[in-house]
Amino acid sequence: MLGPAIAWYLVVGGAIFAIGAAGVMLRRNPLIMLLSLELMLNGANLVLIAFARRHGSLDGQVFALAVMAVAAAEVVVGLGLVVAMARRKIELDVDLLSRLRK
Amino acid sequence: MWIVWFAAAGACVGSAVAVVALRNALFSALALIGNLISLAVFYLLLSAEFAAAAQVLIYAGAVMVMFLFVIAYVGWDLDIAWTGGPSWQTLGGVVAAAALLAELVVVIVLGAANDLRHANHVSVNFGDPASIGRIFLSNHLLAFEVISIVLLVAAIGGVILGTQRRRERTGGIR
Amino acid sequence: MIAAAAWVCLLSPLAAVLAIALGGNRLPRRTAGYLATGSTAVSFVAAVAALIATLGHTASHRQTVSTAFGLIETNAFKINLNLLVDPLSLVMMLVVSGVGSLIIAYSIGYMKGEDEERRYFAYIAFFVFSMLLLVESANFFLLLVGWGLVGLSSYLLIGFWQERPSAIAAAKKAFIINAVGDSAMALALFLLIQHTHTLDFGGVFNQAAALGANTWLINLVAAGLLVGALAKSAQIPLHTWLPDAMEGPTPVSALIHAATMVTAGVYLIVRTHPLFEQAPHVQQTAAGLGAATLLAAGAIALVQTDIKRVIAYSTMSQIGYMFLAAGIGAYSAAMFHLVTHAFFKALLFLAAGVIIHALGGEQDMRKMGGLRKRMPRTYIAMLIGTGALVGIPPLAGFFSKDAILATAVSGGAYGKVLFAAGIAGVLLTALYSFRLIFLVFSGEESELVRKSMAKHRGGEGPRWMMVPVATLALLAVVGGWIQIAGLWHPFSSFLDAVAPAFGAEPSAAREWLLSAVSLGVVLGGLWIAWAIYSAHSQKAPRTPAVLVEKLYFDRAYDLAFYRPAVWLAQRLGSWFERPVIERSGDEIGLGALIGGRFSAAIQNGLARSYVLLVAAGVSVIVLLFLVLR
Repeated sequence: MLGPAIAWYLVVGGAIFAIGAAGVMLRRNPLIMLLSLELMLNGANLVLIAFARRHGSLDGQVFALAVMAVAAAEVVVGLGLVVAMARRKIELDVDLLSRLRK
Repeated sequence: MWIVWFAAAGACVGSAVAVVALRNALFSALALIGNLISLAVFYLLLSAEFAAAAQVLIYAGAVMVMFLFVIAYVGWDLDIAWTGGPSWQTLGGVVAAAALLAELVVVIVLGAANDLRHANHVSVNFGDPASIGRIFLSNHLLAFEVISIVLLVAAIGGVILGTQRRRERTGGIR
Repeated sequence: MIAAAAWVCLLSPLAAVLAIALGGNRLPRRTAGYLATGSTAVSFVAAVAALIATLGHTASHRQTVSTAFGLIETNAFKINLNLLVDPLSLVMMLVVSGVGSLIIAYSIGYMKGEDEERRYFAYIAFFVFSMLLLVESANFFLLLVGWGLVGLSSYLLIGFWQERPSAIAAAKKAFIINAVGDSAMALALFLLIQHTHTLDFGGVFNQAAALGANTWLINLVAAGLLVGALAKSAQIPLHTWLPDAMEGPTPVSALIHAATMVTAGVYLIVRTHPLFEQAPHVQQTAAGLGAATLLAAGAIALVQTDIKRVIAYSTMSQIGYMFLAAGIGAYSAAMFHLVTHAFFKALLFLAAGVIIHALGGEQDMRKMGGLRKRMPRTYIAMLIGTGALVGIPPLAGFFSKDAILATAVSGGAYGKVLFAAGIAGVLLTALYSFRLIFLVFSGEESELVRKSMAKHRGGEGPRWMMVPVATLALLAVVGGWIQIAGLWHPFSSFLDAVAPAFGAEPSAAREWLLSAVSLGVVLGGLWIAWAIYSAHSQKAPRTPAVLVEKLYFDRAYDLAFYRPAVWLAQRLGSWFERPVIERSGDEIGLGALIGGRFSAAIQNGLARSYVLLVAAGVSVIVLLFLVLR
């Protein structure tokens, strides 16, 4: 019923994580950055659930569900920021928000 | 089994790349929805039925809908630069991500020989909601409560972020 | 009781140094002088007390060792801070503290009005402490410590008048030459440690015979000690520093470079005589060098124009006699001459100091003359000193010098050669000593004398100066009476327990015969000197260039050592020091700037870049983990 060995699932999870990381580092649109962040979280989730299946313990799935909940919360806040930016007619370009330099 | 697996894997990786690469934010969000659904397929393959359901219902259903709302509100401006910044940022980003991927693969391959070959035998009730619920309310009760607080805080935060304008217009706290 | 006296004797001058140093400017100048003099006098009293207590013991039990605490303690090797009181060290303690206190008292008058009086008294008290440490130590280690400290005090005091470049140069010269000797001594001590595993005198001397079986070893050790002694006592070939050391104040010349420090080499050889006796070639070399020095120094003294330099060469010459004696095994004769020499040489220097003081700092004898009428008491003092020096009975030098000559002539062919040198030296001594007397005191008053005397009111010198001079004159008269050949010899029997004579002992009759011969030589020299140098002579004496140039030793050392060293230093400076060391300082600064600029580039304020940095860091760490597994 399983299919390929667990290792394959882990590779896919890692790939999704890496692609998400690339997206965070490369894109300037804050919405796309948030989407990439979601990708990273999902990659981690896949790994967690794969290991849960490997060890036969439900703790991994519990952790993954927790991650999903926290990701949802974080998306709420992030999108709220984006909406606030848009309301103030701030251009949606992360590179223009460089106050961290000081 | 393998066919399903490969199809899901291809969809997963392909949609992930699409999320990152597409210029149009709307299309990126749709690609992410595709990614989430293929992940749900993976979870089913891994006997995590409840997690798969939650993924589709909550993640793909609620969170991504929120995303689409905001994208619709903000607009998918195609004039925004795709990437840029300091000269080393683009190249560095690609290199770092590739390095992470390579390392992950190496680690997995190293471990694949022993640890990840077999999966334990699990019962039929492995991933079903009853078992998950039991664990949440016994072993991981604290996590359960904390998650609920986090969600509460997020909700309040969302409300606050969203009602700024009304306060400004009326000039003062109501 | 003896131990307590020994410690008091040693530490009293050190207490004075600390008091003067800590008192600083708040201490009145006079008080510094009183402290220094008083502490040295206390040392003398303690030494006398130790002597009396030691005499209470029988002859074979006159050695007392007192240990304070351990300095170095390892499995194989131990050094303690311990003092030795035995006849040899007692003799030296008495001379150092006795003559020292007289000279320091003299300095109170001589250095009055000097800008840095307190520094002077601190230094000179420190010197007394170091010299006492040297002679009271019970092991080679402390002896070397005292040796080095004495060299340091000499450097500080020669260069006391820091504004004078000649004084600074002289101080450096003295220190460097002494450093050569110190290194040779240290090497000898290393060899001793390696083979005897101890540095205590008793321990080492007990194993002297065993060491002597290995001829290379014992010769090296003895040679190392000899080189150290040569440097400290200014014998050929390490003698060039002593005439230059006259740049220091006259009391310094009297104390350090006549009475005590320069005699440390003689003390060393006598103290370590068991080792030297096992290395006869080295011991004979010591005697030979002593003979060579006494001749050379005597000859050079004949053409010196500076009054202090004449006396300095005279010191060199007399120490040559002591080395000669130690080299042939006449240890008590050498020590006897050391004691009498301390008296009359200090007397000569201090009297010369009175003259210099009265003439406002002038030291050139050619500008002096006719002082006999103006400074009669000084004249008498100098006459006594000179008489003791050349060996006119019943003054001190007569008894001590003849003991040496008699032992020399009794000692085989080599001894007879040494004796010939010694007799020639007697002639030279008479010549240059009376030359000094005639040039300075007889004849008509020179221009300078007239002017200086006009400024002087009253006596020849302040009381602080005249009283020590008078005391030393008295000692120069009676000092020799402690050992009269054939009649009574308490001095040599006192020392015999520690340093029994080695080699032939002359008979009393022979000694008296030789005394008559040397007396004749002395009178002959006096007559020649009167003929050439006194005011009655018509022609000016010849001064061969060889003698004026001090036998070209200075020139030779300059070419052989000094010039190459300077050349090397300059080459190193331009090839290595400037390009590498100085520039590296600049380059470090540049590097810091560049590094800073690079680091600043990372701080661009973009969140994405920071994420990149985090990701990069994580991948590096994971890589490390993978590699290091």
